[in-house]
Amino acid sequence: MADLYVAGEDKSVVGKNPASHSTPGHSHNPLAAFSYMPDKVNFETAEEREKVILFLRPHIVTNIPWLIIATVLFLAPSVLSTFPLLSFLPDKFQVVAVLGWYLVATAFVLENFLTWFFNIYILTDERIIDIDFHNLIYREVSETKIDKIQDVTYKLGGVARAIFHYGDVYIQTAGTIPNFEFMGVPNPNEVVRIIQELRTQEEQEAIEGRVR
Amino acid sequence: MIDLWILGKLFALLAFVIYVIFAGVVVRQIYLMTTTVKVGFELPLRGIAWAHLGAAILVLLFVAAYL
Repeated sequence: MADLYVAGEDKSVVGKNPASHSTPGHSHNPLAAFSYMPDKVNFETAEEREKVILFLRPHIVTNIPWLIIATVLFLAPSVLSTFPLLSFLPDKFQVVAVLGWYLVATAFVLENFLTWFFNIYILTDERIIDIDFHNLIYREVSETKIDKIQDVTYKLGGVARAIFHYGDVYIQTAGTIPNFEFMGVPNPNEVVRIIQELRTQEEQEAIEGRVR
Repeated sequence: MIDLWILGKLFALLAFVIYVIFAGVVVRQIYLMTTTVKVGFELPLRGIAWAHLGAAILVLLFVAAYL
C-alpha cells in the first residue's frame, strides 16, 4: 500500500537524550568552534540541571590573518639577518635584541590565541551566554534567558564565509542587554534553528506551567 | 660620564622584567578563565602558561648574565 504521509526528518535537538558521539555537530575536540551537546563543557554560573546545548567560538579560519602576521614575525630575524640592520649595536646587544623580538612575537601569538579560545558563546536549555575576551585584562560576560529573546537573524556574506560557511548571528532580547552578537560562528543557520527550537520549548513550558 | 651601554643594559633588563610580569599576568588570566569556563583543555593551557613564564624568567636571567 502506498504511503499516505511520510514525516520529514526530525531535526529537533531540544529535549532529546544526550547526543550520541556520532550525532552531526557533536565534537570531542576542545578547539572545536561548533559543538552540539558537548560532553565536557561547564561554566561557573551553570545551574545543577542546566544542559549545554551548543558551544560556539568564531570559526578557526578567522585566525588566519594573525597567523600570517605571526609567521612573518618569526621568520623576520632569519630573513633580515642578511641586512646589517642591527650593526650599530654591539654583538651582545644584537643577540638580546633578537631574543626580545621573539618574545614579543610569542606574546602576540599567545594573546591572539587566547582571545580566540576564550571568545565563547554557549546555548543552554535556559539561557544564552556570551563571553567576550577582549584582551588579557578585559573580559565581558553577558547572559540572557531564552524566553527574553525577541528576534534572531544571521548574516553570511563574503567569499571566505561562503566557502567555509561561517557568519554572524544577531539576537535581540528584551533583557538589560538588548543585543547579543555571535560573530564569525560556523553554521549560523543551524545556530538560528537551535535557538528557535529552544524558544519554542520555553513557550511550551510557559503554557504548561513547567519550570523545565 | 655614564657609559651609554650600561644604560642600554639597564633598559634591556627592565624590558625583560616587564615581559616576565606580562607572563605572570598570562598565567593568572588563564587560571581565571579556565575556572570560569571548562572545556576540557585546562591542563594544556595552564601548562603552556607556566612554560611561557618559565621561559621568560630564563631569558631574563640569561640577559642579566650575558650583557
